[in-house]
Amino acid sequence: MKKIDKSVADAYFREKNRNMIIYFAIWFLVSFGAVMIAEPLSEISIGGFPFHYFMGAQGAVLTFIILLFVNAKVSDGIDKKYGIDEEKNVRLSEGKSLDH
Amino acid sequence: MDTQFLVSLSIILATFGLYIGIAVFNTAKQTSDFYVAGRGVPPIFNGMAIGADWMSAASFIGMAGTIMLLGYDGLAYIMGWTGGYLLLTFLLAPQLRKYGRYTVPEFIGDRFNSHTARVIAAITTIIISFTYSIGQLSGSGVVIGRLFEIDAKLGTMIGVVLIATYAAFGGMKGITWTQVAQYIILIIAYLIPVIFMSLQITSSPLPWLSYGELVGKMGELDRELGISEYFAPFTNGTKWQFLALMFTLMAGTAGLPHVIVRFYTVSTMKAARWSGAWALLFIGLLYLSAPAYAAFSRFILMTKVAGSKITELPAWTKTWVDTGKLQLADGNGDGVLQWKELIISNDIVVMATPEIANLGVFVIGLVAAGAMAAALSTAGGLMIAISSAFAHDIYYRVMKPNATEKTRLNVARISIVVATLFAGLIALDPPGAITQIVAWAFALASGTFFPALILGVWWKRSNAQGVIAGMLVGLGVTLAYIFAAKYGGFTILGIIDTGAGVFGASAAIIANIVVSLATPAPTQKIQEEVLDLRYPEQMVYKNGEVWMNDDGTKAL
Repeated sequence: MKKIDKSVADAYFREKNRNMIIYFAIWFLVSFGAVMIAEPLSEISIGGFPFHYFMGAQGAVLTFIILLFVNAKVSDGIDKKYGIDEEKNVRLSEGKSLDH
Repeated sequence: MDTQFLVSLSIILATFGLYIGIAVFNTAKQTSDFYVAGRGVPPIFNGMAIGADWMSAASFIGMAGTIMLLGYDGLAYIMGWTGGYLLLTFLLAPQLRKYGRYTVPEFIGDRFNSHTARVIAAITTIIISFTYSIGQLSGSGVVIGRLFEIDAKLGTMIGVVLIATYAAFGGMKGITWTQVAQYIILIIAYLIPVIFMSLQITSSPLPWLSYGELVGKMGELDRELGISEYFAPFTNGTKWQFLALMFTLMAGTAGLPHVIVRFYTVSTMKAARWSGAWALLFIGLLYLSAPAYAAFSRFILMTKVAGSKITELPAWTKTWVDTGKLQLADGNGDGVLQWKELIISNDIVVMATPEIANLGVFVIGLVAAGAMAAALSTAGGLMIAISSAFAHDIYYRVMKPNATEKTRLNVARISIVVATLFAGLIALDPPGAITQIVAWAFALASGTFFPALILGVWWKRSNAQGVIAGMLVGLGVTLAYIFAAKYGGFTILGIIDTGAGVFGASAAIIANIVVSLATPAPTQKIQEEVLDLRYPEQMVYKNGEVWMNDDGTKAL
């Protein structure tokens, strides 16, 4: 067990949170945002779809999937940067679960 | 006994044989196997299992029909049921995995150090999963009803027996691998008819790209008929209802006990993030196809069925009229079936379309098998959630801490059978369409667990009194709004019963915060445990400092 400097621990938490806020902003725009301006969007057409319909049926879902994979990948990078070793995580979390 | 019956039945029996084979091979022997599959399922497969668990009869059987009937307004289901995965995977799943408990009530009970909170959470789990399973049973009734050409009610009864037997003897481990198989069956069964219809109507093998022009074309047909255009926004409800429903489904996703428990079956926080991503990819395959399914079905019904002579309707119409879910009446007596004279239930669109489009006995049988896979896999997960809430959280943790493993497993199995029978009774006369019933379960989850879990994980000051107040207020407000909107005609901003979660969640968050602040803070130990959830497993928050566990041992 080694103590981590408070500033390092805080930086880890801040970096993760900043990314999360960005993802949620995009999430909000493509779903709630697109619904709120559905009427003007319906004037535009993309691949035969009225644009508001496209966003609801495909655009938003595709964005969500991409965001989740980006998050998984980027979070792995951040963990690595702070010297987190996944194998040790596995061993640690086996012990962490409460056994009944 | 026609060919269709034999083909459908053999495909269903063959897939059942597969699931039961996998379940028997993995029969749960230990408690940890029964509830969380011994934690070690790789993310890709866990993603598929989450997909099967997630995509219920509502997604498979009900959703395309709902979109077909509601047009753009039905897309709230598509965005809501996928967007919730961001809330779940970013805000809850990894953190709950690090906390390391078996069930959601167990997390709430231990995090807030309160048996009262644990019992309320367990009862809430049972209410939510129970409501959800009514939708599944009513879905299996549609499939079985069509198969045997009997009333959907009788079909539901057969479904009850099947699901109770199936869930009671598998447990989570059997179920995890069974659900991987079920995912594969159900996604193939869903994609094949969509691709065939796309080839038939647009001669393109890629329905996702080809149905766009159809959506536009149907708008023209609608204008000629003098009804509102298929894609016109907010024709079936207000914009606020759309937003409220979408929020309810998203927040509910992040609060559904049977989905969250899936993230306990992975090894680490990292694996939880990847499981969430894979899950949404696999789920997205079906969700991106559902609006295409809806568009093709509607186009075929509008152009091929409507306008034909009443006396010359194809054979499929009779079998569906028999299930009580399709009505054809020559209202104006001109001998021709008009579009407006065709009343089709949301719940049969997916099942009936392959017959209408004449896709052949094999595809029709496959769709029936896929629908059964969807209903069974979700019902299995729901029954595990109900039985663990009762047998583990109430019976073992509160009532009989000395109960042996064997007794607990028996209690779990009995609770599954009892819950299925009760849900089946209600499903005999379902109080709404499948998607609607399932949306109530989501409203309840977003009014209770979503606020409790979010504040429990991210706000160390939230305490037992706060969470108890929050869950009770959220449950009360959500239930009251659902009943007031459905039976009393009471609405705010045009938000109907399915959007109730937005009120439940707001009330619960306010109650939780106000009561928490008005009562003493949780102990130092609990507050540190909450802060600890911000970091990966190797970083440990203790005594106001963060420590790096470099030797990887459990000596803490």
